[in-house]
Amino acid sequence: MRRHCSRDPFIRVVAGHPLQGNTMDASSTFNARVRRLSAVADGVLAIELGHADGGLLPAWDAGAHIDLKLPNGIARQYSLCGELADRETWRIAVLREPNSRGGSAYVHDALRAGDVIPVSGPRNNFALTDANRYLFIAGGIGITPILPMLKEASRHGRPWTLVYGGRTRGSMAFLDEIAGHQDADISIVPQDEFGLIDLDRHLSVPQRGTLIYCCGPGPLIDAVEGASRCWPPASLHRERFAPKLVAEPAAGDSFEVELALSGQVLVVGEDDSLLEVLENAGYQVTNSCRAGICGTCLLKVAAGEPDHRDDLLDDEQRASNAMILPCVSRSKTKRLVLQL
Amino acid sequence: MLDVNKVRGGDGLAPISTQVDEILESVFETTRKATTAFFDAYNENPNPKVLATWLETRAWREIDYVFLLNEQIRRYGMRFKRNHITLLAKQSFQEAEHYEDVGRAVESLGGTVPTSVPDSSVPWSSWLWGCMDRHHLAGIAAWYVSETSASGSFEPTFIGAARQGHTEVVKIYKQIEIDEKFHTGLGRQILSTYAKTDEDREEILRAMIGMRDIAWKTFTPEVVAATMRAREGKTAAAV
Repeated sequence: MRRHCSRDPFIRVVAGHPLQGNTMDASSTFNARVRRLSAVADGVLAIELGHADGGLLPAWDAGAHIDLKLPNGIARQYSLCGELADRETWRIAVLREPNSRGGSAYVHDALRAGDVIPVSGPRNNFALTDANRYLFIAGGIGITPILPMLKEASRHGRPWTLVYGGRTRGSMAFLDEIAGHQDADISIVPQDEFGLIDLDRHLSVPQRGTLIYCCGPGPLIDAVEGASRCWPPASLHRERFAPKLVAEPAAGDSFEVELALSGQVLVVGEDDSLLEVLENAGYQVTNSCRAGICGTCLLKVAAGEPDHRDDLLDDEQRASNAMILPCVSRSKTKRLVLQL
Repeated sequence: MLDVNKVRGGDGLAPISTQVDEILESVFETTRKATTAFFDAYNENPNPKVLATWLETRAWREIDYVFLLNEQIRRYGMRFKRNHITLLAKQSFQEAEHYEDVGRAVESLGGTVPTSVPDSSVPWSSWLWGCMDRHHLAGIAAWYVSETSASGSFEPTFIGAARQGHTEVVKIYKQIEIDEKFHTGLGRQILSTYAKTDEDREEILRAMIGMRDIAWKTFTPEVVAATMRAREGKTAAAV
């Protein structure tokens, strides 16, 4: 399996949650044609896409997503959930969101076979890294990035457990495909039959060498994060359904830092350290190692997305976008606002 | 508060991480208790020379680290990535600053800054250097525990020294506390990055267990009292 170190300059949003701003990278955008739409569960539509000019589609890895620019002008990101080896067809699945502002509603109501839509990607912020064993936890439409991971883990001979929850059995997509996995440890947990997933059963005892991959709604992710705190660091990999703004990538590698208390804006050049820029502007930031090890220079982030380059913050702290170690870290957004 | 024991590195400590963490927790707690006991005794009879004597062993540790870290770099540095050589050298520089600062505090209290290993610090120093002679990671493992031990002394030191108005001591140790996070984080990162074999891990555990059993002892009021009695005896004999 390939190891990834994604540096995507935007926040990942999955399963048709609102995006604002333009995430489309013109250099990697091409036209895809909708080949087929099919209902795969209550409120879930699977869409198969091919290259509009008939060529091969870019290769992708389990956990990857693509960006769709829908004809109504709205951009959305969806996890790829088809066959990794199939370079002619991509498959995504879209849940109709009750509060859709035009994304999933358009896909369900207006998208038709034969439509041509701009697509960019694939990108992967949720890559499957090698492990002795996997514990996959999916909630609802969160099964989509997990689905190819199951096949990939099996292909590499790695044992895995899947815990898949949903509101009802009828609302849970791809149960038939999952059932095709022989000799796997699979728990299907419709809430109306069994209640919520019993996370303690799966997470109360840390399993060394096992990686947890979790995708689903916020409350599920929060619960998994809490229940897996006793696991070794970096055991948990998760992807949230979070309606976060997609941040614009920073121009080049320089960025602006705004100090919330004074309103002052400073420029951090591509060869500057954020900490040094703050010090040169007269701000005293307690520090020691200046290498991202001790955590002494920790600052609070009010807005923007840090580009974490330290060796100390854990995955949850990084994902919060609420803190930064300015001695080594930078910004993925054009402007970072600090509580300073 | 960020936990520097969770610093990112390799997985070299993974098979022994539970034991490592137990050693660190244990030495932190025993040192905290020893320091609390020292300041409880000191506050009953706040003789500045007693505090000076207690700080002398702290001062020696700082300069012994300087010698050890530079020897570590000279002897084993090429086994490490360049950034770790830089960071070990940076730690050495900070330890030298601490020796200077703690030395100033010792003198302000009427004590003498040690220029050779004090009797009470001999077991600590001998273990540290012996570990480094044995294995390229064992010396680091030993000072990782020793630095963690020092971390356990900070809070009672702040409280106890402040109670007697030793603001300079508090100020110095506030800075040392900041740097200690770096040192312990670096120790953890180096060990987890470069420990590759079971033999490496055995040497690391041996060094850590040995230091766990030594590091806290010089923080106790009994050791300070014994040091002062021995010193008075030498003075009387000289007269």
